[in-house]
Amino acid sequence: MTEGREREGGRQLFCRIITPQEVVFDDDVDMVVARIADGELGVLVDHAPVVSTVEIGDVRITQGDERRVYATSDGFFKVSENLVQLLVEEAVPADEIDVNEAEDRVEEAERELGEVSEGDEEEGAKKERARIERRRKMGENLARVARRYGNEG
Amino acid sequence: MASLRDLKRQIGSIKNIAKVTEALQTVSAVKFRKAENRVRKARPYAENVEQMMRDVARSATGSSPHLAGREVRRVAVAAITADRGLAGGFNAQVLRRTQRLRDELGGEVVQVASGRKATAFFRFRRVELAEVYTGFSDNPTYEKAREIGQGLTRLFDEEEADEVYLVYNRFESALTQRPVVTRLLPVAREEDDEGRGGDGVVAASYFEYVPDAETVLRNLVPRYVETMVWQALLESAAGEHGARMTAMKNATDNANDLARDLTLRMNKARQAQITQEILEIVGGAEALAAS
Repeated sequence: MTEGREREGGRQLFCRIITPQEVVFDDDVDMVVARIADGELGVLVDHAPVVSTVEIGDVRITQGDERRVYATSDGFFKVSENLVQLLVEEAVPADEIDVNEAEDRVEEAERELGEVSEGDEEEGAKKERARIERRRKMGENLARVARRYGNEG
Repeated sequence: MASLRDLKRQIGSIKNIAKVTEALQTVSAVKFRKAENRVRKARPYAENVEQMMRDVARSATGSSPHLAGREVRRVAVAAITADRGLAGGFNAQVLRRTQRLRDELGGEVVQVASGRKATAFFRFRRVELAEVYTGFSDNPTYEKAREIGQGLTRLFDEEEADEVYLVYNRFESALTQRPVVTRLLPVAREEDDEGRGGDGVVAASYFEYVPDAETVLRNLVPRYVETMVWQALLESAAGEHGARMTAMKNATDNANDLARDLTLRMNKARQAQITQEILEIVGGAEALAAS
């Protein structure tokens, strides 16, 4: 596997957002902003190679005058040879998020959380709670991103 | 020789079987194309997670058991099969491979089964199953892969197993699925990375890890295991549909051949009967004329 792609005249930054299901975004870009382990990181062309984790949040991509925002789950982040790669479980473009669905997800997760958490300190229950907690956070994140960036077009 | 009526009935039932197998073949063909597409689209993620794992593994200092391993007393083996049969040797070959691995490993094996066929196989042999996952083999979700992956990582972290292996059918084409064994944990450190030549040492300090390689490693390992399981589930699903499609095609062809043979025999029998009747009539008429 080779990182960095064919450069067509001048230096160019590429970005790829990949989920377990498919490649969600793959194009040349001007700038990528993501929330990595120690805060937000903006990447321009010729950035030093970095590997980190990403938190549940958003990834903002600038292409010329256009800006694209994706609501992403947690995962991993890598820049190397002018290729930014995000390996996340979920990535949804801000303008394709269904706010109602996202809120349903939060509600459902909260309801399930109420059912599990009653005094159950067993290992399995803890894991289950963490799993549901993550789903709740992602749901909130989707709703937040949709409200903030959803109608930019 | 079977009577005319018996032959007729046989032909009827064989043609019915051919109809059923042909329908199954058509359904499997559709599902196979879908599953194949899913595997193809999922590959970039798995490849990149693997690549990142290799990079991090090279850079991480300290002796994480996830990389360095520890003394092996118990080994976990996870076998992935389909939930249903009618897929030729698809399930049997994975289970045979698993059995061979268990024999090779000797010692104590913690067995994990995914798919009803694996579950039934080990229960029948009275092998205790540490974890059982069923009901999704033909259309797996990432959620399931995470569940299995976390289960396997937990076995390793809680020292119930010191090595974790995965056995599944790698999908090569509709005609061939090859059973493969991969070790998930500890993660194999690759000495010479293909395509990178001898710059492995340089690559070790190439990336800046935020906050540090050990933290990234700790987060990456469970995700790596999940991803490998996910890929295996997808490959296995595509293989299952491919194998079933091929098996049902063979069954349909066989049934049609059989029906053709039997029809030929039936026609011969009918012809023989008619000839016999004519001979009897002619014989009778001649006897009458002679008297």
